[in-house]
Amino acid sequence: MTGPLITTKFHVPARRTSSVSRPRLTERLAVGARLVLVAAPAGFGKTSTLTEWLATLGDDTAVAWVSLDERDDDENQFWLYVLSALDRALPGVGTAALDLLSSGTSTVEAVLATLINDLDAHDAEAVLVLDDLHAVDNPAIHAGLGFLVEGLPANVRLVVATRTDPPLSLARLRARGELVELRAADLRFTPDEASRYLNETMGLTVDDDDVKALGDRTEGWIAAIQLAALSLQGRDDAAAFIAGFAGDDRYVVDYLIEEVLQRQDEAVRTFLVETSILSRLTGDLCDAVTGTTGGGGILESLDRANLFLVPLDDRREWYRYHHLFGEMLRARLLDERPERVGELHRRASEWLERDGQTAEAIGHALDGGAYERAAVLILAAMRTMQQHRQEATLVQWLEQLPREVVRATPGLSVGFAGVLLSSGRTDGVEALLNDAEDAVGGDAESIRAVRAGVALYRAAQALTRGDLDTAFRQSATAVELADGGGHIDRGSATGLHGLVLWARGDLVAAEASWATSLDSLYRAGHRSDMIGGSIAMADILLARGRLRDARDVYARGLEVAAEIDPARRGAADMYIGMSEVLREQGDLEGARRQLAAAEGLGEYAGMPQSRHRRRMAAAGLAQAEGDPASAVALLEDAERLYTPDFFPEVRPISALRARMLLAAGRVADATEWVRRRGVAIGDDLSYLREYDHVTLARVLLATGRVDDATRLLERLRDTAEEGKRGGSVLETLVLTSLAHQRAGRTDAALTTLRSAVALAEPEGYLRVFADEGEPMGRLLAALTKRDGSTPYLRRLQTATVGARIPQASRQGLIDPLSDRELDVLRLLGSDLGGPEIARELVISLNTLRTHTKNVYAKLGVTSRREAVRRAAELGLLTSR
Amino acid sequence: MTSFPSSSPQAYEIRVSGHLDARWATRFDGMTLTPTDGGITAIRGVLADQAALHGVLRQLRDAGLPLISVLPLDTRSPS
Repeated sequence: MTGPLITTKFHVPARRTSSVSRPRLTERLAVGARLVLVAAPAGFGKTSTLTEWLATLGDDTAVAWVSLDERDDDENQFWLYVLSALDRALPGVGTAALDLLSSGTSTVEAVLATLINDLDAHDAEAVLVLDDLHAVDNPAIHAGLGFLVEGLPANVRLVVATRTDPPLSLARLRARGELVELRAADLRFTPDEASRYLNETMGLTVDDDDVKALGDRTEGWIAAIQLAALSLQGRDDAAAFIAGFAGDDRYVVDYLIEEVLQRQDEAVRTFLVETSILSRLTGDLCDAVTGTTGGGGILESLDRANLFLVPLDDRREWYRYHHLFGEMLRARLLDERPERVGELHRRASEWLERDGQTAEAIGHALDGGAYERAAVLILAAMRTMQQHRQEATLVQWLEQLPREVVRATPGLSVGFAGVLLSSGRTDGVEALLNDAEDAVGGDAESIRAVRAGVALYRAAQALTRGDLDTAFRQSATAVELADGGGHIDRGSATGLHGLVLWARGDLVAAEASWATSLDSLYRAGHRSDMIGGSIAMADILLARGRLRDARDVYARGLEVAAEIDPARRGAADMYIGMSEVLREQGDLEGARRQLAAAEGLGEYAGMPQSRHRRRMAAAGLAQAEGDPASAVALLEDAERLYTPDFFPEVRPISALRARMLLAAGRVADATEWVRRRGVAIGDDLSYLREYDHVTLARVLLATGRVDDATRLLERLRDTAEEGKRGGSVLETLVLTSLAHQRAGRTDAALTTLRSAVALAEPEGYLRVFADEGEPMGRLLAALTKRDGSTPYLRRLQTATVGARIPQASRQGLIDPLSDRELDVLRLLGSDLGGPEIARELVISLNTLRTHTKNVYAKLGVTSRREAVRRAAELGLLTSR
Repeated sequence: MTSFPSSSPQAYEIRVSGHLDARWATRFDGMTLTPTDGGITAIRGVLADQAALHGVLRQLRDAGLPLISVLPLDTRSPS
C-alpha cells in the first residue's frame, strides 16, 4: 500500500439530524437475508436509510463499513479494505485472510475461504456494508463477491448500496428468499414523508397542494426535494417558487443547485467550484487548492447549513461533497474556468504527496495532466506497490501516461514491462523494454539497474514462450548485471537463471544457481520466496539422486518458515517434500506424520501447487502401504486441482497415475495412457520427457514386451548418466534388472541389481526397490545368496516382501493360483518355449502341462497369449 | 439490415429526462444537446466505440439523469 489505509473509508456515517425517519424502510431491512441490495441512482437516500437502520441494531451486532471509490477497482485493494473493515469490526477475524492476501501467492478464493471459516467460527452477528459498489467494474471482484455471498455463514449479512445492479445472481437469491431489496420506487419520498421533511425537519410552511406539486415535479427524488427545501429557506413566496419550479422543464438538479448557488456569496461559490476536484476535503487541503485561507471555516459553515457536505469522521475534519452536488460543481468548473483545472489538480497533488497520500497524489497529477510529476511519483511508489501485488492499479496509472513520458524514464519503462508481465500480459512489453534500452543513461548504477531489469524480463518472456535459448542468454546477462545490485536483484536473477538451466536439463549448473538464489533471498529477508525456491532446489537434488541433500533443504526450509511464523506459507510444501523423501527411505510412519502436518495447516496454507503435490505424496504413501486403488483416486483428485507454475513439469501427474494403474493391475488403462500421451519407443529422449518415457518402459514390462523395454531403458540410462541424473539412473537400473529377470537372464539381472544397490545405499533409497514387489523380492534373495547378506540388503528384503499382502488374496480370482502355478504363469509371459520353461522350473514336461492346464482353467482362458493378457490385467505379473 | 460493428465510430442519440444547461456540452465533448418537447433532452454525436458509449452512459448515471433511450443514428440523415 502506498501510504496507510485511509481510515475515513471505514467510517460509518452518522445519522443526520435533517433526515426523516422512515420505519417503513428500516422494517424491511430488518428481515434476515443473506444479501441486502439498495439499488437506486444518486441522491435517493441510500446511505441515509442504511445508517438509520444500522442505528436500530443492538450492540451485539458488529458493523463493518467500506465506502468504495474508483480506486478500489483493483482486486488487491478492494479485498484489503473489505478484510480490514471486518477485522476492525470483529477483531481477529480478518487476520489470517489478510496474511494470505498480502503474501500474493494465494488465490482470492483461498483468501475468502479462510475469511468465511473465521466468520463462521466467530459466531457473532455481523453486517458488512459496501457503499457505492458501482465504483467497482472489475468482473474478478464481482466473482469474488459472488463466492463470498454464497459462503456467508448465517450470522453475517452483506449489504450493498449501489447505483447499478451488481452481477451477483440476484434472480437466484431472490427466488430462494435470500435477497432483500430496496429500489428507487421504495426509496422515494412519499407525499407524507415529503411533507414531514419540509414542514417539520426544515421548519418551512408548505401546504399539501404545494407538497404535491413539488413531489410531482421531482418524482419523490430526495436530493431534489432537499435542494428545493434549501431554496425555500428564508423565502416568503414558497408557493410562487414551487409554481415556477414545477412549470420549468429544466433538469431539476440543474435548476435547484443553480438556485442554491446563487444565494451564496462569490467567495463561497468559487470555493465550492474549485474544491470540487477533491474526493475528500479538509480545511488545509482546500486552502492549498484555492490558494486562500479560511477553508476550514467555510467547510464548517457549509456543514452547519446542511449544504452538500457529508462528514467522513466524527471529528469534522474530513468531508466529501454529496455525489450529485460534486458532479454539478465539476461541470461548472469545466465550463467556467477550464484553464484552472490543471493548476488545481497540481496543487492538490502536492499537498497530498506531503501528507503521505501517494495514491491520491498520483490520481490528481494524472487528472490534471501533470504527467511528469505523476511519472516521478509512480516511479517512487512502484516497488512497494509491486510487493503488495497492486499491479492492476499500477497498470491503470501507467496507461494514462503519454508514451513519451514513459519513454523518457527508463526506470518507468522497465517497471511497466515488469508489471504487465506480472499481470499475465505480454502486449507492448517488448516495445517497453526496447524503449528502456534506448533511453538508458545517467550514473553507472542507474544504467546497471535498467539493463538488469530488461534482461530479467526478456528472460521471463522467453521462458513463458518456451524459447529456452533466449531465456538462457538473457538470464545469464541478468545474473552478471545483478552482481552490482542488492540481494533481491541477485536472488531474482539467479532464481530465474536456475529455472532456465533446469528446463534445459543442466542440473549441475541449475543447482549452483539456485543455491546462490536461496542464499540471496534469505539475506534479503524474502523468506517465503526462499522457501518457494527451496522446492525447486530439492526437486533438482532428487533428480540428481541426492536424497540426503534434498532432505536437508526441506529441513532448512522448515527452520526458516518457523522463523517468521509457525503457520507461514511454504511450511506445508516443506512437509510434503519431506514426507516424500522419508517415504523413499522406507520410513512410512515418518512420511505419514509429515503429510499430516501439511494437512493440518489447511488446504490453502501452502503454495497453490501444494494442493496437488500433497495428493501426489499421499498417493505414493498409499501405494507403499499396498493400496494402489486409493493411490489412483488421489491422483485423479490431484489432476483436478492442478495449477501450473514456472517450474518445468518433470513429474507429470498423468504419468504417475499410469504407474499407479500398473500397481493396481489395470494394465489396459495404463496402456491407454501411453496412447493418449503419445509416447513411443522411437521418440527422441529428453530430460523433460524422461518421466513419461520411464513410465512407458514400465508399461512395456507389464505387457510382456521385455525386449522393447530393455532397449528403451538402456537408452534412458545413457541420457540420464549424461545429464548427471542419478535418480533416473537408479530407477532405470532397477527396471533393467527386472527386465533381465523376466527374460530369464538371471546373471545379467543380478549384475544390474548389484550396481543399483551400490548406487542406492549411500543415499538410503528403499522404495525404488520395495515398490517392485515380489519379483524384486526374489531377485534380492538371489543377490543375497550370491554376494552374502548385508544390513542394507536385509532392510530392502524386509520392506519388499513384508508389506505385501499374500499373493493369493490379491489375485481377484475365485480359485487363486498356487505358488507353483504362478511360477509357470510368469514364465509363460516370457519368450521361453515349453521345454525351456520346464527346465527352468526343474519339472517334467508332463508336470508343466498339468500346471498349464490348471492355470488356463483358473484364468478362464484357452491360449498362452490370453493367459498372459489376463494375468497382466489381474496384476499377477506385478510390476509398476 | 444494417450491421453495427462495435469497434468503429457510430452516431448515437441519447435521450434523458430534463432540459440540460448549455454548460453540459463541455462534459460531453463533441456532442450536441437539443431540448425537445416533454422536458426531454436529445444528446447527439459520434462515439468512437462501445467503450466510449458506456463512458457517456456512466456519466449520465452519475449525474442522476434518468435515461430514456439510446438509439444508433443513420449517419447519412442526422435528424
